[in-house]
Amino acid sequence: MIVMLWHNIDYVASVVLFSIGLYVVIAKENLIKKFLGLNIMETAVFAFIIALGMVEDGRPPIMTGDAQGPFASPLPQTLVLTGIVVAVSTTALALTLIIRIFRRFGTIEANELREME
Amino acid sequence: MEVVDIRPMLAPGVSFACAAMVFLFGRNTNWRRFWMLSAATIKMIVVLSMLPGSLRGVVYTFDLVDFTGGIGLGFRADALGMFFALVSSSLWVATTVYAIGYMRDDEKRVRFFGFFALCVSTTVGIAFAENLLTFFLFYEMLTICTYPLVIHYETPEALSAGRTYLTYTLIGGAFVLVGTVMVHDATGTLSLGHPGILDASISPGRLGVIFALLIAGFATKTALMPLHGWLPRAMVAPTPVSALLHAVAVVKAGAFGIVRTVYNVFGIELLDDLGFALPLAALAAVTIIVASVIAIFQEDLKRRLAYSTISQISYIVLAASMLTPFAATAAIVHFANQALAKITMFFVAGAIQRTTGKTNVHELAGIGHQMPWTMGAFTIAALSFIGIPLFAGFITKWYISLGALESGQWWFLLVMITSSLLNAAYFLPIVHLAFFKPARGDAVPVKEARPTLLIPTLVCAAWVLLLGTMSEVPGMPFSLAEAAVRFVFRM
Amino acid sequence: MYAWPHWLALVVMTPLAGAALTPIAALLDRRSPPWWALATMTFTSLAATMLVLRVFAEGPFSYLPGGWAAPYGVELRFDEFSAVVGVICLIGWMAILFSSRYTRSLPEFASDRSPYYYALLLLNLGGMIGFAVTGDLFNLFVFLEILSLSGYALVAVGGERIAEMAAFKYLLMGAVSSVLVLFAIGFLYGMTGTLNIADVTARLGALEGPTAPAAVALALLAVGFVTKAAIFPLHVWLPDAHAAAPSPVSAVLSGLVVKLGVIGMIRTYRIYYGAGLFDLTVLNHVLMWLGAISIVMGAFFAIFQEDVKLMLAYSTISNIGYIIMGLGLATTYGVIGASVHIFNHALIKATLFLAVGAIIYRTGYRTLSDLRGVGRAMPLTSVALSIGAISIVGIPPTAGFLCKWYITLGAFEANQPLFGFVLVFGALLIFVYYIRMVNAFYFREPIHAEVTEAREVPVSMLLPTLVLASLCLIMGVLGRIPLTFIEPGVVRLLAPLGG
Repeated sequence: MIVMLWHNIDYVASVVLFSIGLYVVIAKENLIKKFLGLNIMETAVFAFIIALGMVEDGRPPIMTGDAQGPFASPLPQTLVLTGIVVAVSTTALALTLIIRIFRRFGTIEANELREME
Repeated sequence: MEVVDIRPMLAPGVSFACAAMVFLFGRNTNWRRFWMLSAATIKMIVVLSMLPGSLRGVVYTFDLVDFTGGIGLGFRADALGMFFALVSSSLWVATTVYAIGYMRDDEKRVRFFGFFALCVSTTVGIAFAENLLTFFLFYEMLTICTYPLVIHYETPEALSAGRTYLTYTLIGGAFVLVGTVMVHDATGTLSLGHPGILDASISPGRLGVIFALLIAGFATKTALMPLHGWLPRAMVAPTPVSALLHAVAVVKAGAFGIVRTVYNVFGIELLDDLGFALPLAALAAVTIIVASVIAIFQEDLKRRLAYSTISQISYIVLAASMLTPFAATAAIVHFANQALAKITMFFVAGAIQRTTGKTNVHELAGIGHQMPWTMGAFTIAALSFIGIPLFAGFITKWYISLGALESGQWWFLLVMITSSLLNAAYFLPIVHLAFFKPARGDAVPVKEARPTLLIPTLVCAAWVLLLGTMSEVPGMPFSLAEAAVRFVFRM
Repeated sequence: MYAWPHWLALVVMTPLAGAALTPIAALLDRRSPPWWALATMTFTSLAATMLVLRVFAEGPFSYLPGGWAAPYGVELRFDEFSAVVGVICLIGWMAILFSSRYTRSLPEFASDRSPYYYALLLLNLGGMIGFAVTGDLFNLFVFLEILSLSGYALVAVGGERIAEMAAFKYLLMGAVSSVLVLFAIGFLYGMTGTLNIADVTARLGALEGPTAPAAVALALLAVGFVTKAAIFPLHVWLPDAHAAAPSPVSAVLSGLVVKLGVIGMIRTYRIYYGAGLFDLTVLNHVLMWLGAISIVMGAFFAIFQEDVKLMLAYSTISNIGYIIMGLGLATTYGVIGASVHIFNHALIKATLFLAVGAIIYRTGYRTLSDLRGVGRAMPLTSVALSIGAISIVGIPPTAGFLCKWYITLGAFEANQPLFGFVLVFGALLIFVYYIRMVNAFYFREPIHAEVTEAREVPVSMLLPTLVLASLCLIMGVLGRIPLTFIEPGVVRLLAPLGG
């Protein structure tokens, strides 16, 4: 069991990171902290997908004149690039919303906001 | 013989259009009366025009929409449906005239008459429904259309009665719907045009559930005990509405649903094999007796009539569940007999209330001298309910008794006799009070209700006499009921 | 003409490109964005019509951009369920037309912002269309994010007091569910080495070794999509978001966006039924129960709402419950009913939100008691509202009836009579709250002068409402068409179950 986990330490790490993120999203009252939690979750998933593409002794999948295999799989990397773009836009939107909430209510603590509603 | 004809759809459709006109142009009194009366009359004419064909054995059908795989909306005027449609549509004319007189000075007349006219259309829709889905649709529409009538005065009492009414009937409707879906699931069809669509290949447990669902659903509207709670409370409604609820539309629709379930969904043979009918008959018998006993103790005239309705309508259920030809005849003709007699009584109660303001039974002493015609009509109706020969109610009791002998279950006879005695016990004191007791205080000169109230009352009372003495009463012939019975029993 | 292969690419690209170009169009003419958006959607609708015709004639088909063969290149695949694109176009078109006048009245909408509103709306519609037609798991995620992100932003533009809060709540739950979906896609990619849905299905089926990761991926997908679909208890984001958004946006969100969660669920089922790795009975039972609870809870909460838009929002939860339950029943009738309800509920809910939006636009009130008597002041809008109400209850011959009937039949077919009861009694509850609404609008005396003096809305708002309302009726009478249309798709979906 331990051995198996050790061999898959990259996956285990991303699952742990994911759980930490989820905990932050649920447990924290501050909207920015909640959002940071979401970013942690996203990072965990990106790390996971990147790890999937790893190949033993693989080299970066960049075609140059003298390229020699094996390469790491390029597909996960492109996926994660797209994912990062999505995550950045989500972050931008969330921050905008948080600023507007702060202007309107003067606080970004979820419990205080609930009382004001 | 089946003929495709638009009239079965036209009958509810035309009065539906008239009802829309009442809503749109109802603010003007004359236009409103015009559309009201035309809604009632046109529908009656359309229904009557099918009668000669119906007597020859023609069945008019009209499929409106066929969605897919046996689900659709369609209309079909068979003998049973024709009989119910005739009763309700001819009584509607009387009720409309009465209602115009009764509600003359009311503020919310537009809403009242609009929904009143809608009820016309839905009841005939129920009568002519070709399949259970169409039946259910009109059945629910009837619930909705009568709700604004029940809460008409919008007093807290009326609103709470309205809520009770909706709760009972909507939940009942949901039972019917589940039953309908199960019928479709079991047979792939919902048609009411056969003497039974379910068959013995379906497991008895499943059939039992279907039977229980459909009967429980319809029984809420029929006010079969113990599901009768809404009816006495709904008495806060204006009197024409009470007449509508008890004599013509609502409880009759429920009873009609039970009759359709027994004869057209299950069919005589299947129910006989399964033995589901006996508990239903027992329930009906208990309702007949218990409701009559409760009626004796009611001081309010309308409430007494309400409990009498609960008892009387159960005759139909009892007769239908005996599963013999004679009893079936009784079940069908009782639609007419009970409706006419009960509507007469409600008209009388309303006329007394509008003319003298009296609502309690003990206040009625000597009223027969003040309103002789009105109370004469009441007496006729009372004698009919008791089952004196030459009155309509006698026919029912006679055929139920014949049916009881036919099926060999003598205890139905006991129920009949007890019920007659009880009917006498709660109606005759009223007649006695009215005619043979002096009025309290000063003697009052003769002062009848206004003609719009009196004439419909007398017409209905006359019809009670006709039904008791003639077999071919114009508009509701006995032979039509017999034709329906022949179809059901495949004779 | 419908056989031209590039329609499938165009139907996705047009709204996205249109969205990007909207701000530029606004630079040229300040008043042009609504008409630009409308023109974009008109062309998209044309493409969608062609696609629906083609799938009807030929069955499912694919499009491979750049000509790369399926497992390596990206695949767009149009099957019967993708036909939801037609409804997306229709409702999107109507919502944009409705907005053209509506947005001018909103104080938040200084004219320099309106291009972004239309750009977001187009982006949202394009995202949904892409989501419905993609045959590739990663694009599924990308389009999911496009439609979700634009959705969060659209909720916030309404300027209601709680709009930003609602949008943030929506964003948080939406983003978490998206991450779950992405995680699951990662799992599936790790196990099969491909992202093409058909390929994933085949390779999962041939998988050797432990199936636990596939089960984890399934759980993640289910939770993610069920959150997007707002099924109890993951529905908490929906009511505020849908009530706070501008009414045309509510129509799109409530009618369409939540449905994409259901489409995602159908795609998930396609993979797992097809792979046949394990028995899905447990998941189906969970969905049935969650669906049943959603039906009852949604309807129950709706009854106690005074705010009309909140009421409609809760009613959406209840109706999505029907769809999810139908899927969970996993019988032909149930799934057909559920799939058709995706289409029909979209029509109905859009009708309701547009009608209510028109009423709010004219009167400025949004609670039942404030709006008493509005039926007399705005007869046409109220008729549309009533048609929507009877459709959503499922009274024949309106659009809501046949699908609910089929789902109920499905419950009996699956030998789950209990759920048949829940369905019917859910309809009863829904009935009760729409009766409350109709009663207040028609039969109560008005208490505000604004209500009695309200006039009908301008044609650009009335027309979409009435057209959608009449479609509710037409789709009821012609209910057979969508049923027969979707049937081959459902049969194919359920075929691996064996009958």
